[in-house]
Amino acid sequence: MDNNQDKTLSQEDTNKKEFNGQEICQGLVADGSSAGLDNVEVYYQQLKSLEVVVEKNDLQLPKSDIYQGVGIRVFKNGSMGFASTNDLDRDSLKQLLEQAAVMAENSPPDRNNRLPDPEKLEKVPDIYDDRAENIQLGDLISRARSFMKEIKQDDRVTVDTAGFSASIVNDAIATSRGIVSQDSQSYFETQALALAREGEVVSSFDMEYQVSCFFEELDVADSGRKLRDKVLASLGAETIESFRGEILLTPFSAVMLMVQPIVFAVNSENIQNGISPWKNKTGKQVGADILTVLDDGTLPGGVGSGKFDREGLPQKRLTVIKDGYLQELFYNTYTAARAGRKSNGRAGGGAQSAPDIAPSNFIISGGQKTSEELIGEIKRGLLVNRYSGSVDPVSGNFSGVVKGGQLIERGKRVKPVREVMISGNIYQMMQNIVGLSREREDIMNYKLPYVLLEDVSITGG
Amino acid sequence: MNIKKLLKQIVIENQEWVELRYHRRNSLKLQVKNGILTDSVTTTLSGVAVRALVDGSWGFVSTSDLSLEGLRAATAEAVKAAREAGVLKENKIQGLAEIEPVQGNFNLAEEKQNQEEEPDLGRKIKLLMKADGKVRAAGEDIIASQVSYSEFKDSKIIVTAEGVEVEIYDPKCDIGVVAYGARDNQQERAHDSHGVTGSWSKLFADRKLSDFADKAVELVRKRLEAEYVTGGQYQVILDPALVGVLAHEAIGHTVEADFVESGSVVQGRIGEQVASELITLVDEGNIADAAGRVIIDDEGTRSSRTTIIEQGVLKNYLHNRESALKFEAEPGGNARAFTYRDEPLIRMTNTFILPGESDLEEMIAGVEDGFFLKGMAQGGQADSTAEFMFDVLEAYRIEEGKIGRPVKGLTLSGQAFEVLKSVDAVSSDFEFGLGRGYCGKGQAAKVDAGGPYLRCRVKIGGQQ
Repeated sequence: MDNNQDKTLSQEDTNKKEFNGQEICQGLVADGSSAGLDNVEVYYQQLKSLEVVVEKNDLQLPKSDIYQGVGIRVFKNGSMGFASTNDLDRDSLKQLLEQAAVMAENSPPDRNNRLPDPEKLEKVPDIYDDRAENIQLGDLISRARSFMKEIKQDDRVTVDTAGFSASIVNDAIATSRGIVSQDSQSYFETQALALAREGEVVSSFDMEYQVSCFFEELDVADSGRKLRDKVLASLGAETIESFRGEILLTPFSAVMLMVQPIVFAVNSENIQNGISPWKNKTGKQVGADILTVLDDGTLPGGVGSGKFDREGLPQKRLTVIKDGYLQELFYNTYTAARAGRKSNGRAGGGAQSAPDIAPSNFIISGGQKTSEELIGEIKRGLLVNRYSGSVDPVSGNFSGVVKGGQLIERGKRVKPVREVMISGNIYQMMQNIVGLSREREDIMNYKLPYVLLEDVSITGG
Repeated sequence: MNIKKLLKQIVIENQEWVELRYHRRNSLKLQVKNGILTDSVTTTLSGVAVRALVDGSWGFVSTSDLSLEGLRAATAEAVKAAREAGVLKENKIQGLAEIEPVQGNFNLAEEKQNQEEEPDLGRKIKLLMKADGKVRAAGEDIIASQVSYSEFKDSKIIVTAEGVEVEIYDPKCDIGVVAYGARDNQQERAHDSHGVTGSWSKLFADRKLSDFADKAVELVRKRLEAEYVTGGQYQVILDPALVGVLAHEAIGHTVEADFVESGSVVQGRIGEQVASELITLVDEGNIADAAGRVIIDDEGTRSSRTTIIEQGVLKNYLHNRESALKFEAEPGGNARAFTYRDEPLIRMTNTFILPGESDLEEMIAGVEDGFFLKGMAQGGQADSTAEFMFDVLEAYRIEEGKIGRPVKGLTLSGQAFEVLKSVDAVSSDFEFGLGRGYCGKGQAAKVDAGGPYLRCRVKIGGQQ
């Protein structure tokens, strides 16, 4: 290979292997079937990623990684076993099949172990950027430069870490029940953590995050500006007295406080194991009537979108919560069998693990007002920029520190605050949602508005 | 050609400074939930990480193509990436601290005689299912159970431009048991866990699997009967597990040289009194059986003990080769990478406070109005300012020197160095206590931490 030739995401040597994922899967399924296994599922994944990391306002590391692996699930006499490898030579793959069979032989039978029948699969539009294959580390270094240019407009701001990445994921699946498919997706991320320092005064950390399936859709300079302004605004934070009041969660803080508990509670495995607080709650009210939650794996341009889930089934759009009422849970084939129904395409995971349960694009519907209008309605409360603490998804109890918080009084930001804790029970608090912003942000595969909650215990320092 | 020879050839034929690390991981994960084997997974992940240092910048490429051509291509790409990075990099890397060019084979598993005692896969699954059943059989108040076992068997070969040539075998495993309980419309969760460097027999050398099941049940029942408390400043006794969490999470991260450079609270404070004179805190990789055991790190540096705090005085930060040169310090073997796809970062290994001379009973007797706190429940957080918050797994009221009723919903918070300054007694006991703990810093690392019992003052958050 010519060392001077520019390296891109499509290294020529891997390019040759790139689209044989489906063939590898089909070949292994055939081998497994002729070895006397009852059923076989093979999942192939290739992940190509480039990343440029900035630390302490300086470029730290350019990185390139290509992962290619298969995960094989075999079924024999009601028992199931799983094995995976990224060593794709013929002998290793043959051994892999044997390993999976040994795992199955040693596992107890379970009548719910099964593979699904094929369903019609459709390609989701706008999840692959044709430019992705041509992105080079140099392009990401330019991005890092534009971002840092904005940050350095003010020398009080330091970027602790920032990452600029480009990824291409190629998935393929084949099963002995007749599922055969493959899909490709690209996504680009910018994430940065920064703080501001003025003399001895140090702000708390704040974050900015952007994601898109298209390289040109990210505006890194805008991200840099926003982050700079946010950390500067949190300089000179003061402690406050304790009170009960409203809190406005930014989309970022809603990840831990809203998304994670809901995803736990609607996971059918947790329901079946009796540890979800929402067991026996389907059709009942679990949140305020303005709360509507969707999970949509068919969303054009969605980072969580794709033609099929980890078991090769379509990831249809689900209404999880409608006007505060719990509608649908997340099932994979195993939990669906336990419940005597069909999977709704929420099998998650990649080639290195057996299917679990995961959302696709998790979406909280927005409201009528902007986040600024919601702030304008707060009598006395807190903007929770980031939340750092624990949330126990079983009991719903949470207690943690507010980072980059702002005290709000009579509809106005009064001052940045520090050492403020919020606590309560998140499932009970979902009844207290009084506002959702019109604008929403994409954080990984979540699309989230600002969430306004009332009657929250706010403990000052 | 065998892999070691391939790596050596690449290093020899390159003019630039390169480091190659082959890393193969065979892992096994078994999980039982409510009597169902939900995971029986074996995984192989192998490849080579190439790091180049050119013109004062790093370049990093990971590849699973182990052919000579594949490694040449990956190395050329790493060199090119480093060169390109130089365009944007302002503070060029001045070099790396010198290390002994270690050569040889290192096996992190101490025990060899126990190989025949290692249960086979089927037996392991049966034992885990039995423990899971034991949790639920404990009574009607126990509504769900979970038992998770995982093992890694890592083989590494590291070859660097300075002549490091090592082969490492590193098996690690851990166990976790969770009990879910319910009573009067409330649900609680509690766990017990343990991790070691070594095999299954080492993991259960001191406590049987069924003991973990019993402990998880006992703890969840205590949480069900426990009452919530009112928060405030209190004198408390921290157990070795919480001392470990404090040492690792709240202190340890602030002394990692990369965080120090970012402006952590200990920047420029070497030589200052930062804790009570009773406190000596160290990080030490090469401890037999400990879950965070490292003998040679992923830059080829031999692991040694780093004294972070000695009798209350801040002595050292934790380093990789790059930061050690910059700070004029010795690298202690703290550059670690989780898989071949990860670059080495400054990480802790086994981080702990050394035992003192006090008697635990007497320490408790000296508390007028406080709490006895054990283990971490769901998790916690800490900042580069050393401000932290952990939620407590098991807690008891102490009144007039006597341990009383169990309480729950407690969080422990404060500034870690302030907490360590308030220490007035350190017990003579010692335990590692992170259980199956992993540390996250963009990538995972298996670590352990612990210490003696400490008596100190902290802020307790309640839920009333």
